[in-house]
Amino acid sequence: MDFEAVIGLEIHIELNCKTKMFCDCPNRPGDDPNLNTCPTCLWLPGAIPRFSAEALEKASLLCLGLGAELQPQSAFDQKVYYYPDLPKGYQLSQAHRPLSRGGGIDITDEDGNLKRLRIHHIHMEEDVAKLVHELEGRVPISLVDFNRAGSPLVEIVTEPDLRTPHHAMEFLKALRTQVRYVGSSECSMENGSMRVDANISVRPRGTSQMNTKVEVKNMNSVRHVGDAIAYEISRQSQAVQAGEAVVLHTRLWDPDKKVTLPMRGKFEGPCVPDPMVPVIELSPAFIEEMRSRLPEMPAARAERFVNDYRLTGEEAAFLSADPDVAGFFEALVKKGVAPRTAMHWLATQLIPAVKERRLELGASRVTPERLAALLALLAKDEINANAAREVLAHLFESDETPEAIVNARGFRQVSDAGALAAMIDRVLAAQSAAVADFRAGQGKALGFLIGQVMQSSGGKANPKIIRELLTKKLG
Amino acid sequence: MDSIFFYRNSATAPADGPLAGLKIAVQPTVSVAGWPADAGSKALANFTALEDATVVSRLVQSGAFICGSTLGSEFGFGLAESRAGEAVKHNIAAAELMLDMMGESRLAACGAGVCGFKPSYGLVSHFGLIGLIPSLEVCGLLAGSCQTIRHLLRALAGPDDKDFSLPDEKPGEFYAPAPEPSKTTIGVIAEAQSALPDAEKSKFHASVAALQKAGFAVREVSFPDWPLFLPVHKIVGSVEASSAAGRYDSVRYGERAPGARNWNEMYLASRGAAFGTLLKSFLIQGAYFQFQRYDAYENACRIRARLVADMKKLTDAVDFLVLPVSGGASEERPRTLDETYGRFAATAFANVTGQPALVLPPASAAEAPFQLVGPRLGDAALLALGDFLLSVREKGK
Repeated sequence: MDFEAVIGLEIHIELNCKTKMFCDCPNRPGDDPNLNTCPTCLWLPGAIPRFSAEALEKASLLCLGLGAELQPQSAFDQKVYYYPDLPKGYQLSQAHRPLSRGGGIDITDEDGNLKRLRIHHIHMEEDVAKLVHELEGRVPISLVDFNRAGSPLVEIVTEPDLRTPHHAMEFLKALRTQVRYVGSSECSMENGSMRVDANISVRPRGTSQMNTKVEVKNMNSVRHVGDAIAYEISRQSQAVQAGEAVVLHTRLWDPDKKVTLPMRGKFEGPCVPDPMVPVIELSPAFIEEMRSRLPEMPAARAERFVNDYRLTGEEAAFLSADPDVAGFFEALVKKGVAPRTAMHWLATQLIPAVKERRLELGASRVTPERLAALLALLAKDEINANAAREVLAHLFESDETPEAIVNARGFRQVSDAGALAAMIDRVLAAQSAAVADFRAGQGKALGFLIGQVMQSSGGKANPKIIRELLTKKLG
Repeated sequence: MDSIFFYRNSATAPADGPLAGLKIAVQPTVSVAGWPADAGSKALANFTALEDATVVSRLVQSGAFICGSTLGSEFGFGLAESRAGEAVKHNIAAAELMLDMMGESRLAACGAGVCGFKPSYGLVSHFGLIGLIPSLEVCGLLAGSCQTIRHLLRALAGPDDKDFSLPDEKPGEFYAPAPEPSKTTIGVIAEAQSALPDAEKSKFHASVAALQKAGFAVREVSFPDWPLFLPVHKIVGSVEASSAAGRYDSVRYGERAPGARNWNEMYLASRGAAFGTLLKSFLIQGAYFQFQRYDAYENACRIRARLVADMKKLTDAVDFLVLPVSGGASEERPRTLDETYGRFAATAFANVTGQPALVLPPASAAEAPFQLVGPRLGDAALLALGDFLLSVREKGK
């Protein structure tokens, strides 16, 4: 029997707020254990949650960035469960009245068609404490770190619109890009600021029933999400074919063995409205203010790049996927660099060089101004491309202008026909075999001769002029 | 008389500000930094408050002296083991602060023969109050006179950046002119007296007659849904309490039961040992509605909204309401949840609606203590009425 999967994702995203969601403690979970705590996030008797305005703004921007509709009223509920990572016995989460409804992401499916994956709703919730399990001698102990308790999260719940691992991976990549764009989170699955749970069920292809789903957790990269879903689809399909029932439960992805393993029965505690966090009422003015803060989103930006700069769709998509890259690109163009040159240098030179040095694009010595100055020298033929690449390396090391580096290190291109003609004569005299090859019609011998002249110039000769002079002399 | 205190302040009183020299007792549900704050429960044994409740810091800033913490019942729920009211009765303190969840401050005032006041919901900060039922409970005040209560409220009321559940608007000065009796209508809710035994009923009628004698226009009004207040309070209150008590797991404070083999057993055994029987039945009732009958909880919330709206209509039609304090139940020391609620049958409504309620002691043995009630946030006018009635009595002597 041919099966298809029905997949929904639940994605937790840590908002990059300065403080926690209900107190003023720094939102820095990675600090020394239990450093960022207070009576409120430790939930000592008498504490009262104070909802953070920054969390509301970052969450609202995120919702708008995903095309979701902010609700005029939303509210926090108590999600009741008892576990040591949650010392007050309930998690504050918007179970009944979420911050936004609707929205979605367009992806390109396996056949190259545009597919809309809808979002059901997005709600806010607090993170819980982190449990660390260790051995003290031979006694197993569990330690609780409250630094993360109360960190602001949003949870994005999709409609069960996804059918394949590809859909899930494309959704997550696009989601990450869009959330980074609005600046609400770094969305790194590797360091846990984006956590993905997948709900998966299977059914015979062509039918429309919703079967019992299984939740899969513990994937810490987009690739793992794809692998885990693929594994789970095949596991469930085989089980159904063998006549076994799929039971509602949670499984963990084991990235080493590349399998999902059962974890625990799913406990759904009750959710009751929290009596202390006031109902959140968003005025039309607030929603408008948030909308005005929304940057140009990647799809719109890519379209503009194609129209304004005559880039290909692929080039435009590459540039606009990362807001820093897109910004750098536009800054270069503004400084007079030809769009295609700017695109080419970013993609093939600057981004690899920044990565190699483990820097951030926006935080290296190579600013758009300095790179634009370098590319201007290239455009005016004062240096050649080889020299430009070398000057770029120097730009990472010092604050000198490209011009100064070119002058100080003799990168200026030799375009003087007299000096070049003398060099060419010497090369032609020494390479009679290649000259003969060329005259015999072997075109590639010209390239060899150009290389020889370039070498004897120490790489500074203007290759265009060498080619002209050589062709003339040999012609 | 020291036995009424759970903790006494050994510091000397600074005396500066409008409340200088005023000695105020608190119940152990009110946090005072550095003081043990066990809220009357083993679940909080050895817990020392880290911060002052806002009510405490505001009183201290106004010059008052917090003289000690009086013995209370577990989490301030009911009055079974409570010694609330005695410090004011015996002039050890000029006032006492305690949680009013279903009428505790009003019944304690009644027992002590002093004035008791439950402010409007949203007027006084909850920060640092160790309660159980956030949406129903408020900090109640007991004092010898309405004037003292008004002075305290002036210091206490208003927005608090530690409690976002309060409205942002600063309330007025807490001064209202004395009411003109002939222009003031007081409604008597017929249904609120139905549970009273005849002897108490006639005493209450004597109190109402005294209002008429003072010149007020008194008329009977009806609130047909009056019997719904108690079940709504029971359901909403117990559900909130079940969640609110979830944090008491005896991990960081409180008595921990020995012998558990894992954390789950430790939670169960410690919680089983820590809470008293009355509280346990309340929490189990709340867990039942949370886990098994959520629909009933949702209905209770809907009915609550309707009761609030109906009460608003009633307080729009008359200036004040007068009700008995007694719920009609005879048990002075109730043991069960039902008996406990029975004592508060006439007071719990104000916690459901959030309106202010003032209890005045009876003028004589022939009268009963009674409650005066105003519209939500009509606290100042209500206290002015109480003050006026007490001064009428003084003149009559």
